[in-house]
Formats: sequence, C-alpha cells, structure tokens
Amino acid sequence: MAGQEDPVQREIHQDWANREYIELITSSIKKIADFLNSFDMSCRSRLATLNEKLTALERRIEYIEARVTKGETLT
Amino acid sequence: MPLVTRNIEPRHLCRQKLPSVRNELECVTNIDLANVIRQLGSLSKNAEDIFGELFTLAETFASRVSSLGERVDRLQVKVTQLDPKEEEVSLQGINTRKAFRSSTIQDQKLFDRNSLPMPILETYSTCDTPPPLNNLTPYRDDGKEALKFYTNPSYFFDLWKEKMLQDTKDIMKEKRKHRKEKKDNPNRGNVNPRKIKTRKEEWEKMKMGQEFVESKEKLGLSGYSPALVYQNGSIGSVENMDAGSYPPPPQADTASSPSPSFSEDNLPPPPAEFSYPADNQRASVLAAPKRSSVVSPSHPPPAPPLGSPPGPKPGFASPPAPPPPPPLGIPPPPPAMGFGSPETPPPPSPPSFPPHPDFAAPPPPPPPPAADYPTLPPPPISQSAGGVPPPPPPPPPPGPPPLPFSGVDSQPAAPPPPPLSDATKPKSSLPAVSDARSDLLSAIRQGFQLRRVEEQREQEKRDVVGNDVATILSRRIAVEYSDSEDDSSEFDEDDWSD
Repeated sequence: MAGQEDPVQREIHQDWANREYIELITSSIKKIADFLNSFDMSCRSRLATLNEKLTALERRIEYIEARVTKGETLT
Repeated sequence: MPLVTRNIEPRHLCRQKLPSVRNELECVTNIDLANVIRQLGSLSKNAEDIFGELFTLAETFASRVSSLGERVDRLQVKVTQLDPKEEEVSLQGINTRKAFRSSTIQDQKLFDRNSLPMPILETYSTCDTPPPLNNLTPYRDDGKEALKFYTNPSYFFDLWKEKMLQDTKDIMKEKRKHRKEKKDNPNRGNVNPRKIKTRKEEWEKMKMGQEFVESKEKLGLSGYSPALVYQNGSIGSVENMDAGSYPPPPQADTASSPSPSFSEDNLPPPPAEFSYPADNQRASVLAAPKRSSVVSPSHPPPAPPLGSPPGPKPGFASPPAPPPPPPLGIPPPPPAMGFGSPETPPPPSPPSFPPHPDFAAPPPPPPPPAADYPTLPPPPISQSAGGVPPPPPPPPPPGPPPLPFSGVDSQPAAPPPPPLSDATKPKSSLPAVSDARSDLLSAIRQGFQLRRVEEQREQEKRDVVGNDVATILSRRIAVEYSDSEDDSSEFDEDDWSD
C-alpha cells in the first residue's frame, strides 16, 4: 500500500509544484500587462499636456512674429 | 459595450481535450507551459505596439519642439536688432499692413477609419464583410449605390449637411427679402422694429420660484434632443419646432401650453390612453416637466384628422368649437396627397391621439410636413408599430430608406407625365392647335432636362466646395449672425478663407 501511494503521492506533489510555478508565471504576466496599460495611459496624458503647451507656445510665437516683422516677409 | 484594444491570445491555459497519455498531470503541465510561452509572445507583441504608438506621438512633438526652438532663436536675433527710432509710424503703414490672423486650425475627422489603432483594426477585419450588394448598382435607375440602402456610414453626416445647407440658403433668402423690403420702402422707417427685450419676462419666470423656471427650458431643450433620438437623426424636427411655434402664438395661451405637453405623449408610450391626457389637461401644465420628449406640434395635426376622430372625440368636452371644423376640412386633402406620395401614410399612423392636434393649427401642417416627409419616414414607421391602425394602411415597414428616395424621385416624375399626356391628347384631336402643343411639349422636355442638369451642377458644386464639418458650420454661423448689409461680403470671405 505504501508502495502504491508513493509514486501517486510523488506525482501529486510534483503536480502541485508545477501548478504553483505556472501560477507564478501567469500572475507575473498579468502584472506586466497592468504595468503596460498604466504606462500607456500616463504617457498619453503627459504627451497631451505637452501638446497643449506646445500649441500655446506656437500661437504666441506666431503673434510675436507678426508684431516684429516689418513687412519684409509679406509678399 | 467597450471593446478591448489588445488581447493576450491563448486566454485559457488548458481547456482542451487531453490526448490519452499515461501521466495526465504531466501532460497538463506541459500544455500549460506551452501556452504560457504563447502568451508571452502575444504580450510582447502588444507591448511593442504600445511603445510604437507612444514613440510616434513623441516624435511628432519632438519635431514641433525643434521647429519652435528655431523660430524662437530667429525671433531673438530679430528683437535685438529692433531699434525704436526705425519704427514705422506713418498712417499708410498701419493700413497697408495685413491684419494679424492666427491660424485657427480645428481638429476634424478625429474618429475616422485612418485614426483607428492597429489592434482594433485587426479585430475589425475579423468581422464579416457586408454582402456584395454593389454588384446590383449597374441595374439601378437612380444611380445610387445599392449598398447604401443596406448600410450607409455617411448617412447621418449627409443628413446634417443637407440640413445645414438648407438653413444657410433659407437664411440668405430671408436676408435678401429684408434687404429688398428696406430698399423698396426707404421712407417707411422702421416698420418692424426688433422686439424690445426686457427683463420683465425673466423676472416673471422667477416670480413663482427658481424651480419652475426649468420647466420651460426643459421643454424647449428636451424638445430637441429626444426628437433627435426618436427620429434617428432626422433634424427636420427643429424646422417643425419653428414652424410649430408659429401657429400656437396666434391661439389662446391656454391652448398653446397644453399642446406641447400633449404632443410629448405621442412618442414615448404609443398606447391610446386618452384618459391620461384628459387628466393632464385638467391638471396644471407646469407639472408636465416629467415628460421629456416634445415632438413638433405640426406633426400630430395632419395625423389625427386622418385617424378616427369621431371615436375618442365624444369623450372630450374641452375643445368644443375648433376641433369639429378642422377634421372635416383636412381629411380630403391629405388622402389625395397620400395616394400621390407613399410617405404621407407613415406620418399619419403613429399619432394615435386625435384630440391633441386640434390644439395646434391644422391648416399650416399639411404643407410643412409635405416638405419634411423625406426625412420622416424612418422614425414614424418605427413608432407606428404599436399605434392605432390608421385608415390608410401604412406601407410595409422594411426599407424605409427606399421610400424617401423613391418618393423624392416619384414627385418630380409625377408632374411631368400628366402634362405630357395632356399635351399629347389635344395634339391628336386638334391638329390646328398642335403647333402650340408641340412647342409646349418640347419646352417641357427641355425644361425637364434643364432641371436635371441644374441638379447635377448643384451637386457637383457642393461636393467641390468643402465637405467637412468645420467649413459648413462656419459658413452657416457666419450667415446667421452677420448684418444684413454685410452678409454677402462675409459669405464671400468665408468662401475664400479656406
């Protein structure tokens, strides 16, 4: 009886260890996916604020250029 | 329902039938590990996609920043070279200089097929394509694409565009009329002065308390959006609101206030609950804010007279004098119209509240609805499902879009054939008068052709001029808010400012 149990028990133990290992890997995959999503979102929001600042700067520069040019560039 | 942008592909590690192996647990483990590797692969693909998009965004910003930096450097140099004594002070200089206009570039077509992210495009490509109905296009007489009747992504935009163009034309016509009147009567002075806007109305509204002010606004605002929602984007309701608001004012105020509240009932619950409106009629109208939809009062009027007025009528004692004459007068013309064009039956069907239209003016409705029928058929047909069966049975609901198209086409086609037939009959019987008739016939034929060419030219012109939301909207707003003296010049300016 002990001989019968041992291989089965060993198998089951091994199976549990395998499953734990696989669970570790899949939870790490989920963490990576979460990180990627949040990184994407934060990057996009920062780039959007950058975009706004850039547009504001561009408009100011346009205005200043119009003030400063004395008609040289006008056709 | 939100769509997932990126999916990691083997969603379940091991949900398949296992092969017959001695050691099943090991088998499962091995299958799981293989799927984990596949998952890692798809994860890396998604990560690469994410970083690629962020990189392209950052790249565009980098180029913009560098160009901005260059401009700033140039400006810096120029500013140091500025000398106050060199400044141009002459008046001519001020006038000849071009006025500063900042480039107001508006973002348009944001949710276009081109801006769809790649993973979603891939998901979209896995869907079934629509059936190849365009193979039937060469067999169509009116030259429209057959697939447009099945699925037309630009339907709502085309509808809106037509409405906007029509509005700009109407506004321009009105302004021309005003200008003409002013020119014709220069000595009459200000015969139609603009209404003196006082704050009295506002104060009176607030008299009862701030809460009740919302009721009128809600009726007005909600009159627009639910009408939009219920009528599937047909914006003809706004026109009808304007048309409908014209008849009520001449009537008594009590009549006008119940009429919007009753016309609201038409849409949401189709059941013919006449007792409910009757109670509301007696109750205060200000309690009406609960109901959210306001359909144009001009729509119900034509329908109820066509409906069975005598049935529910006797139950209502309130509108004694006005109701009886209009229904008698109205039924003959609409049925004639109904047999002429297929669109008239649908609008009569949904309104199952005969008493309600009697509050609004029945005569004006027939002409405006006739103009708006091409836009109405889709929504009223959907509402007629639960309505009281109308006397002229509605045409089968499938294919409401074909109805407007065919209706629009049948209408211009209908008048020419009768005159043609009339022209041919006298021709055969009276050869002496035949010359005049043949001239008429040729003139009609030419006129017919001319009309077609004009329509084509108009369409081409419209396509060329500018198909985006911003230009159309800007033109319409410019026309609406410009002064009557300057409107033509402003319109030209807008044309060129693109």
